[in-house]
Amino acid sequence: MLSITTTPAWGEFTFDAGQALLPGMVGYAKVMIAAVGLLLLMLMAGTVDRTDEERIAAGRASFDPLRSNRAEFYAFFLFSLTGLMLVAGADTLLWMFLALELTSLPTYIMVAISTQRNRSREAAVKYFFLGALGAAVFLYGFTLIYGGCGTARLNEIHDHIALHGINTLTMAGIMLSLLGLGFKIAAVPMHFYTPDVYEGAAPQVSAFLAFVPKTAGFMAILLLAATIGWTYDPGAVKGVIRASEHGTQLPEAVRVLLWVMAAMTMTVGNILAVLQSSVKRILAYSSIAHSGYMLVGVIAGPGDGSFTGSGVGAVLFYLMAYGVMNVGAFAVLAALERGRRDDGDAIEIETVDDLRGLWSSHPRMALVMLVCNLSLLGMPPLLGFFGKLPLFTSAIGAGEVPLVIVLGVNSAIAAYYYLRLAFVPMLENADRGAGAPRAAPFRSREIAGLLSAAGVIALAVFGASIMKRVEAAAKVSPTIAEIQATATP
Amino acid sequence: MMTLAQSGFPEVMSQVTLAHYLFVSGAMFTIGLVGFLTRRNLIIMFLCTELMFQAAGIALVAFGRFHLDFTGQTFVIFVLTVAAAEAAMALALVVLLFRRRESLDAEAWREMRG
Amino acid sequence: MILLVTILIPLLAALAVALAPETRAKSIAMLGTCVALVLGGYLALQFPWDHAGEFHLGGEKAIEWLPSLGISLSLGVDGVALLLILLTLLLGPICVAASSTAITSRRRSYYAWLLVLQAAMTGVFAARDIVVFYVCFEFTLVPMFVLISLWGSTNRKRAAVKFFLYTFTGSVLALAAIVYVAAVNAAIDPASLTSLERGLHPEAGRWSFSIDALTFAAGHLSSAEQALVMAGLMLGFAVKVPLFPFHTWLPLAHTEAPTAGSVILAGVLLKLGTYGIYRFVFAFAPMAVVEYAPLVALVCIVGILYGGLICWVQTDVKKLVAYSSVAHLGFCVLGMFALNGAGLTGSIFYMINHGLSTGALFLLIGMIYERYHTRSMKELGGLAAKMPIWSTFMVFFTMASVGLPGLNGFVSEFLCLLGAFQASSAWGSGLWGSAGAMKGATLGELGPWYALIAGVGMVIGAIYLLYMVGRIVWGKLVEPHAHHDGHDAHAPVLPKDLCTREIALLLPLAALCIGLGVYPKPVLQALEEPVRFSLRGIDDVRAARPVAATPIEAARVEVTP
Repeated sequence: MLSITTTPAWGEFTFDAGQALLPGMVGYAKVMIAAVGLLLLMLMAGTVDRTDEERIAAGRASFDPLRSNRAEFYAFFLFSLTGLMLVAGADTLLWMFLALELTSLPTYIMVAISTQRNRSREAAVKYFFLGALGAAVFLYGFTLIYGGCGTARLNEIHDHIALHGINTLTMAGIMLSLLGLGFKIAAVPMHFYTPDVYEGAAPQVSAFLAFVPKTAGFMAILLLAATIGWTYDPGAVKGVIRASEHGTQLPEAVRVLLWVMAAMTMTVGNILAVLQSSVKRILAYSSIAHSGYMLVGVIAGPGDGSFTGSGVGAVLFYLMAYGVMNVGAFAVLAALERGRRDDGDAIEIETVDDLRGLWSSHPRMALVMLVCNLSLLGMPPLLGFFGKLPLFTSAIGAGEVPLVIVLGVNSAIAAYYYLRLAFVPMLENADRGAGAPRAAPFRSREIAGLLSAAGVIALAVFGASIMKRVEAAAKVSPTIAEIQATATP
Repeated sequence: MMTLAQSGFPEVMSQVTLAHYLFVSGAMFTIGLVGFLTRRNLIIMFLCTELMFQAAGIALVAFGRFHLDFTGQTFVIFVLTVAAAEAAMALALVVLLFRRRESLDAEAWREMRG
Repeated sequence: MILLVTILIPLLAALAVALAPETRAKSIAMLGTCVALVLGGYLALQFPWDHAGEFHLGGEKAIEWLPSLGISLSLGVDGVALLLILLTLLLGPICVAASSTAITSRRRSYYAWLLVLQAAMTGVFAARDIVVFYVCFEFTLVPMFVLISLWGSTNRKRAAVKFFLYTFTGSVLALAAIVYVAAVNAAIDPASLTSLERGLHPEAGRWSFSIDALTFAAGHLSSAEQALVMAGLMLGFAVKVPLFPFHTWLPLAHTEAPTAGSVILAGVLLKLGTYGIYRFVFAFAPMAVVEYAPLVALVCIVGILYGGLICWVQTDVKKLVAYSSVAHLGFCVLGMFALNGAGLTGSIFYMINHGLSTGALFLLIGMIYERYHTRSMKELGGLAAKMPIWSTFMVFFTMASVGLPGLNGFVSEFLCLLGAFQASSAWGSGLWGSAGAMKGATLGELGPWYALIAGVGMVIGAIYLLYMVGRIVWGKLVEPHAHHDGHDAHAPVLPKDLCTREIALLLPLAALCIGLGVYPKPVLQALEEPVRFSLRGIDDVRAARPVAATPIEAARVEVTP
């Protein structure tokens, strides 16, 4: 977070070789990913090499690079974050495909080795196979877009679409790409893997999965949408793009697809989350629901370009907000354990009931759970509310009132399970059994949780400067055709 | 590029249009997708995703030739590389699973339900 | 600035309570609420009551909060808001004092949440930015949820969850409506405004959540849009009030909440809903308000009658008073939708009176519960013999609640009914209208029939409350056997009748009930200007309407100057 205060102009910072459709997004995404990445890294302590790291944490041994034989875990972690940063700057379909693969391939291994148990292996296989399917689908989509437009550069595709409209091949490509990317963001109908994978992986890796592929998917979707153009107007005169009445119009077919995906994703996610009893499954389904919320911002588009009116800004801000509060919720699970298995793995907190009595035994973690879950619920004045508010404003500004009502009703459904997560630690007393939660030996996990909770409060109170950055980051650059259109009187 | 194309191909290939390539590619993609959804053997499922990748590869090359543009061919090289990486990972995971369960059936892995 | 301090002091006190040792919790909380109350007195002195319709005391300039979202921390109160803030601040120390024997476990968290709740409630009334309003409005849910679910009685968890989910669902839809108006404001083209309008409303054409800006923007809504906005807002606020079909959370929450929780719930939290209707529905959707006033009034009347009839069959005293709140707030909203001076004044006055008398009733019931651990009318009876002081207060506040002339409840209930009666129009009061012109009729959408039927509800209200008093105060002495002397091991032993502390709690409320009943003039005067200002939008709508819609209305318009 230090960089935010010391480099004043990072919002406008662009990479030479970056994409030109959402130029501001590159810099913003990198800082955001680095910041949330730091929190995630603090959670990762002790995931592999647990016995060694435990001894180091307890001060019984000092760090020895030669002994750390599972360092590939951290390498994968960094590779994945690198891929994520590269997605933001993708200027061709090829780059986007490679960056997305670089983001997701390491995560499969991270899931597999996050614990010693069969569940993690099963989760990894499930995740990998569905991930490969998703990758194949959006790769085929990219192929068709390339075929339809004759170029893989996003700028050129944008200009091609602006000048000639969308042909069938391109349209099919866009649809397939969005469906395939739906896997990355865990959107219906590509969401099936999420609960199983989150449950099978160690909680800190689940936190990683909830942030990294989702962010990658959303940045790719935003770039694709910017490529088609939110100001796409099928009735436009050749070479002239008019902003339509409501500010934004994706091509109707794309809009309908995204609309249905958004509505289904939030509804399915929330309703299934209500039925769960495992904490990680609840958070997994809620992660699906949050993707649905963010899709609303994609549909809304850049609007009038202000932070409040821009759905792009809303998505970018919500990604950051979701990252912070979600890390907090998972950090509680990572920082606590109910015991130890023979193979050295922690027995995790499984059901909501395991959280009972946390308020008296681990007040700090209970507080983190309270703050982060209330924020995920969208309770003002926490960060989650100020993340959701721009989604409301931009969508209504774009005339998507029915979708906003779906969003509102879903927020209310979500209240049911977030209330349980937030308040069970405080309200229920633990049965004094052997499985009472105790602190994991890695303090950095606890600190990550506390930092997230502090961030959830602080960013809501002092978030003004970040919002200003996001506003700059969400600017959709005018393209050749648009510049031509404005130049002719 | 034009000269290369004109001189290198036998006469009969000029009968083959973009549509033919796309048909093959589409068929491969569909077979892969259907196979993935219906089969439960992990190796077969993996091969199905490979089929879908290669379908994209064929389409890319065909489009590249159609647009007289090298991007498609470049794309294919990278796709092949990624596919190879995925293959390595898939086989590693499958071997890992097979050692634990002595089965390649996806149905044998149902520890998590909810 | 001073308003901000009034909000921050309970918050700081909450922090202090959370950090201080358990035994100090109560005294710090008492100190915090008392300081806030003194500040409230200072506010009342500073407030220019002659200009009670405008907003004051908010400080020179609004504090920037999240400018990118158009949110600023702007505060300010008019007469209505200030009176409700004073009510909130007055109930603060009373609630703290009322909890001293009732709350024996986890006192630190209890008082901390109580103080947070007070800060949020004050914020709701002081906000001049609708997001600040919404933040405080929503945030009241969290402390109240905790208060009910930790210190409530047996069924508390279900009650708390139901309370939370109902209110949360409603207010999310209200948020959508608010955002809709904000979007309209942002879409205004400043060039289309006159230069005067541009000067007065610099926020037009930009994203802003300032209440003034949105009120101006609401003028750009079509009547269909206003109907939608009103529907959204009303859903949010009607759940909180609660109006008839959305009231089911209330009896449960009231019955399960600890005494102080019930007092705050009845005293202030329900008023957040009516205040929201008064402040936002009227300002954002005047056309829809005029159009749908009869519908809302109908819902209120159903609520009044339904609440009254349900009360009749209750045996749990607390539940009875809770249902009576449903009926009473029905009167309050009915008066509001009479859309004339008398009705609206009565309605606002009702908010304060209901807070005083019902709050006191819940305190009294809490005192009985602490002694006997029951609230059932079957197990209690003839307590006048055992507890003369308690009985005196009980009878007194019941009378205030019923609306006995000379006490505060009468004035407001009468004004509400009068307003509804005078607000005559062809629809729904045709019989009356055809009998000739009615004296004192104002232009309005309700009419004598509404007042008459609601009046029946008033009679029912008198019957059940007096019946309750008759059962537990007079008659044969009945005391529960099991808990006759069975106090908790931890609970301090209470005397048979009220102790000095308890009497001291009730006395200020009683004094206010008499004072406002005998001499309501200062309050009514203070309300005159805000009410007039609020009705301006409504009057504009009426003026713009075609005058003679029906022959009967035409006949009436002739006589009314």
